[in-house]
Amino acid sequence: MAQISDLEFLRLSKAQKTGYKIRRFFTGIPKAIASFFLAVWHAIQKAGKAVGREISEIGTTFKEGDWKTKLSFLVMGFGSLARGQILRGILFLLFEIIFIGYMILSGGYWLSMLPSLGTQGPTKEYNALLDVTVTQYHDNSFQILLYGVLTIFFIVAFIYTWRVNIRQNRMAEKILATGKPLKSGKEDLHSLVDDQFHKTLMALPLTGILIFTVLPIFFMILVAFTNYDGTHNGYTNNLFTWVGLDNFNTLLSWDVTGGAGTQSYAATFGEVLLWTLIWAFFATFTNYFLGMFVAMAINKKGIRFKKGWRTILVLTIAIPQFISLLYVSKMFAKNGIINGFLMDMGWIKTALPFWEKPNWARITVILINIWIGIPYLMLITTGILMNIPADLYESARIDGANAWQQYRKITLPYMLFVTGPYLLTSFTGNMNNFNVIFLLTGGAPTNPAASSAAGAVGYTDLLITWLFKITTGAESQYYLASVIGILVFVVVALISLIVYNVMPSIKNEEDFR
Amino acid sequence: MSEAKRHMGLKASRALSNTAIHALLIIMSVIWLIPFICIVLQSFRVESTGPVGYVVPHQWGVDNYTKLFQTDFPKWYMNTFIAALITAVLQTVIVLCMSYTLSRFRFKMRQPLMRFMLILGMFPGMLSMIILYRILKDLGLTQANAVPGLILVYIASSGMGYYVSKGFFDTIPMSLDEAARVDGATRAQILYKIILPLSKPIVIYTVLTAFMGPWGDYVFARYISFGTSSGMNVAVGLYNWLNKDQIANSYTMFCAGGVLVAVPVTVLFMCLQKYYVEGVTGGAVKG
Amino acid sequence: MKKVLALILTLALVVSSCVVASAESLAGTYDITLWVAEKAVDLTKQQIADFNASNELGIVFNATVEPVSEADAATQMITDVEAGGDIFCFAQDQFARLVQAGALAPLGEGAAAFVKENNDAGTVAAAISGDTVYAYPLTADNGYFMYYDKSVIPEEDVDSLEKLIADCEAAQKYFAFEMQSSAWYLASFFFATGCVSEWETDDDGNFISVHDTFNSPEGLIAVKGMEKLVKSDFHLSSSSGSEFSSNAAIVVTGTWDYETVKGILGDNMGVTDLPSFEVDGKEYHLGSFNGCKLLGVKPQVDAYKLAALHQLARYLTGEKCQQERFEALSWGPSNLTVQASDAVQANPGLAALIAQSPYSVPQCQIHGSWWDIAKVIGDDVKNAEDEAGLQQALDNYYDKIASLFTLSDDVKFGWTVIGAVNGTMWDNDFAMTKGDDGVWKSNDAFEMEAGTEFKVRQGLSWDNNFPAENFKVEEAGTYYVLFNEATGEVSLSAE
Repeated sequence: MAQISDLEFLRLSKAQKTGYKIRRFFTGIPKAIASFFLAVWHAIQKAGKAVGREISEIGTTFKEGDWKTKLSFLVMGFGSLARGQILRGILFLLFEIIFIGYMILSGGYWLSMLPSLGTQGPTKEYNALLDVTVTQYHDNSFQILLYGVLTIFFIVAFIYTWRVNIRQNRMAEKILATGKPLKSGKEDLHSLVDDQFHKTLMALPLTGILIFTVLPIFFMILVAFTNYDGTHNGYTNNLFTWVGLDNFNTLLSWDVTGGAGTQSYAATFGEVLLWTLIWAFFATFTNYFLGMFVAMAINKKGIRFKKGWRTILVLTIAIPQFISLLYVSKMFAKNGIINGFLMDMGWIKTALPFWEKPNWARITVILINIWIGIPYLMLITTGILMNIPADLYESARIDGANAWQQYRKITLPYMLFVTGPYLLTSFTGNMNNFNVIFLLTGGAPTNPAASSAAGAVGYTDLLITWLFKITTGAESQYYLASVIGILVFVVVALISLIVYNVMPSIKNEEDFR
Repeated sequence: MSEAKRHMGLKASRALSNTAIHALLIIMSVIWLIPFICIVLQSFRVESTGPVGYVVPHQWGVDNYTKLFQTDFPKWYMNTFIAALITAVLQTVIVLCMSYTLSRFRFKMRQPLMRFMLILGMFPGMLSMIILYRILKDLGLTQANAVPGLILVYIASSGMGYYVSKGFFDTIPMSLDEAARVDGATRAQILYKIILPLSKPIVIYTVLTAFMGPWGDYVFARYISFGTSSGMNVAVGLYNWLNKDQIANSYTMFCAGGVLVAVPVTVLFMCLQKYYVEGVTGGAVKG
Repeated sequence: MKKVLALILTLALVVSSCVVASAESLAGTYDITLWVAEKAVDLTKQQIADFNASNELGIVFNATVEPVSEADAATQMITDVEAGGDIFCFAQDQFARLVQAGALAPLGEGAAAFVKENNDAGTVAAAISGDTVYAYPLTADNGYFMYYDKSVIPEEDVDSLEKLIADCEAAQKYFAFEMQSSAWYLASFFFATGCVSEWETDDDGNFISVHDTFNSPEGLIAVKGMEKLVKSDFHLSSSSGSEFSSNAAIVVTGTWDYETVKGILGDNMGVTDLPSFEVDGKEYHLGSFNGCKLLGVKPQVDAYKLAALHQLARYLTGEKCQQERFEALSWGPSNLTVQASDAVQANPGLAALIAQSPYSVPQCQIHGSWWDIAKVIGDDVKNAEDEAGLQQALDNYYDKIASLFTLSDDVKFGWTVIGAVNGTMWDNDFAMTKGDDGVWKSNDAFEMEAGTEFKVRQGLSWDNNFPAENFKVEEAGTYYVLFNEATGEVSLSAE
């Protein structure tokens, strides 16, 4: 669709403008996707060039460097030590010693086992004397994979540190050549609370994320290429091994294996994905706007017991979900107190099928989710709402703006700006909102057509609860769960990219300053 | 319309809208409180111990609470309380470090880092559990030692939850920092002496959310405590009472446990709300 | 490093088993963990203390008893077998999964004979996979029957499903029978008309075949009966005794709900076997699953500890302990002697189970996916508009069951090597590829010692396998396995 000029745009009516914007947005999607892949390609090219540059720079460093620098290629930190930067030198050297020690003692073993994931499964032997069958355990595929990955991480870290070590030599030589003194250990330490303060602040959080988030995700991705499941648990029964893309073929195949009236994996996946997206959309935006509304209502001038209302709402957060949601779920049952109440009042003759019919169940979970979400959103938005400069409203009032106009022109843009990233994470969070679905419906009602797919999918199942059913289900197909996990990621990432690129708070981060 | 009349009309409409909002808030409170009240009432029922279809007990008493203390419940409660307390402190520190950095510093890797963390958040965490369990097991932090293990996992990835507080820091004017820089303060001093005192609301918000997290964690906590009663948290312990062979004996106790779990969070919020609201309204941000 | 460790362990084991030669060597103190239902924790502690005091072998257990529900034990075990309880109780439907996961140590000959001799046949079948006994029967009361509210349901109506439904609708009360989310209850209608779903497992807990007649004229009768129930506005898909306090007049559930229902209904509680339904003028009495709980021993590296654990398992499932469990917890015994005692026969909860028993079917081994596949029949029947719709529900079911065992032609006609090769114990098939000369050759070379045994089989089944007697390697070496399909000749090749 062609873009129209600003002048033409201004001539359009309000409805036309909105329509135009919406159409622009959707017609822009293919372009956005294309530009995404283009960007990825550019990034790869750039990375390739950067690596080339690094290598040539390392070469020059070696060629032009003095003997201290040259020795540093082998003994990390030697250059720093020799030039009097004791603290840096010791740290580099220590790291190298630890690395070499680790590689010799266990890293080498894990790395060598990684291609096969182990060769020797457990063996059983009958002991006639005691009339028992003794089991001997040997290789452990899971451990090999885990520590193999960890070793690779370690090696990458080592190469990076080695490179830093080289660069420091180069820089030190340059600085010395100009006749200036090098930084002392004390100065190094001081810079950590000043110039380099961000490194100090982030060191711990980032290490945590690396080990407890990045490593597991990396591992999970690798599992998708193995046959790790209940019958190949890698240690006590059969070892698991690499299977290439087989699992992706299974999940993305349109072949119907369960006979007529059933679905292929791909169709089931599509159905669950669609519901997951619908759910995430409603769960995010109903909560957001209603939560904001409640916060504004409580904040409004002239409303009494402000604290009281907030406390009441927060009480529902205080009771853990696994208690309150189970109770609420029971309230909506066919013979629960809600149906009982409605029947006693004579408003309905037979019970409403809150949990029985697919669409009823879907709407009910969204409604109950509002009940859960409003208190949180109320808490979050209260603070931010109060931060909106009061004079903005004052001047708007003088200009004669009514409440709705004030909301449209001041509150909403400000809120969207501050909470934009939160909205996006909340959307992805809702896609992976395990608790609500698991505790309220457990995925029910079951979808007959999809029951041959692993884990018996229900109509309210999200991808994440399906994934849970697969891992804890009859066959514990971890590999399949991994594939689904990866696909979930791909979908979420695509959506986020599109949203991210139109979001004001990222584009104009320095606004509102 | 004369100026005076218009003013009166405005007043009347404001009064009307306030009444409507009050009515709405009352209705909402009722809806929000029903399950809470029901659970509290169940916990005082003594004539039977299983789940029942009525709400008001026929016979009242505190038997369920006294019985709770003969089970492993106090142990679970302490486990969770300790985990929540330590998590609240450490997680707040980490989140604030992260969000402050990303709000105030402009360094080369900043944008890529934020994007990277955003992307990380998109992977469903469910499967990570298997691996985290294995890592913790090799560290000896599962089963009876589950509490430190849980704390470690809770805080380790908390840096990724920087969004809300970064949004808050973004609203504190940069000019404050710059003025302090001119006066010769280091970055660290700016954080402690200028930014933090202005950030009470967000600190309290972060503490609250961090403190609440561990009370409701079921899936992961169950994985880590793995069939060892002394390492369980309240959610895992209480949830086990809902098994079909156990529910008839323990349902009211389950509710009583739920009420006790709600106590610290409620108390904390009631106490902090004063600071919370004061912090926000009396806070530093004046446009 | 690990390999060295394993070698040392093996050596130590060989040495120790040579030196010590009598069962008295079991004497010693063992630290163990037990997983039992929360209710049974105190009793089990007492029973272990009794065992420590009374056994003549000098075994002393230092036991930690953890409350882990029987429904949950298997899922927990499978998560991490290494860290699981040394002895654990579980519901029988988890049996095959546990065997597959390598979480159950097979019983020795003595123990197996003991189990077979002393327990109810149905419970013994539940503990066997292939020809191997893997667990000790603990109870035999995992079945269901009907509780009803005497103030709503007249006594003369309890034998007829149609009358019960009419009574419930008239009284605006619910008939709770878990038809939409549980295959365990739903199978009741199929057993009524004589349908079966019988599964066969091999020695490693793998399912190898099924005989299933749910999709048959009898099956159609069953779903017609089911239709009457699930299409009633007052049918409730639940199996919780507490429903009586939420407007239910009938609940189909088991002995575990006895106290709950008694607490709610008091003297109005009625307990009886399931009713009959009528299709085309013929009566069919609803059947049921007759399941049990089992006690398993986790595989161990230490033969002595393992033998001691088996001694304890035997004791805990023996006559004395089952008797105690019946007295303290009303758990229905699997032990034949205890079963026959007057007290058991007179227990009201168990009496209903016994009344139902002529119509019940032993649960045996059932494929884990069956539960998911079969449970949707309930929803399908509810949504069916006519007889064709009902038949469709059965067809869908049948297709899905069949697909559990469908093999592609490549697999069906392909040959594989199976045996004590590459560290596997006759539990893994290694692929072979057909050469241009029509001779099959294994894809990998195997390191084989002299005396290594293996076979070549077709379609992952034992219907066609060669040679007739296991192939025995004469000289150690690294070989490819060759197989000539035309002559049935198996040979080895270095290349």
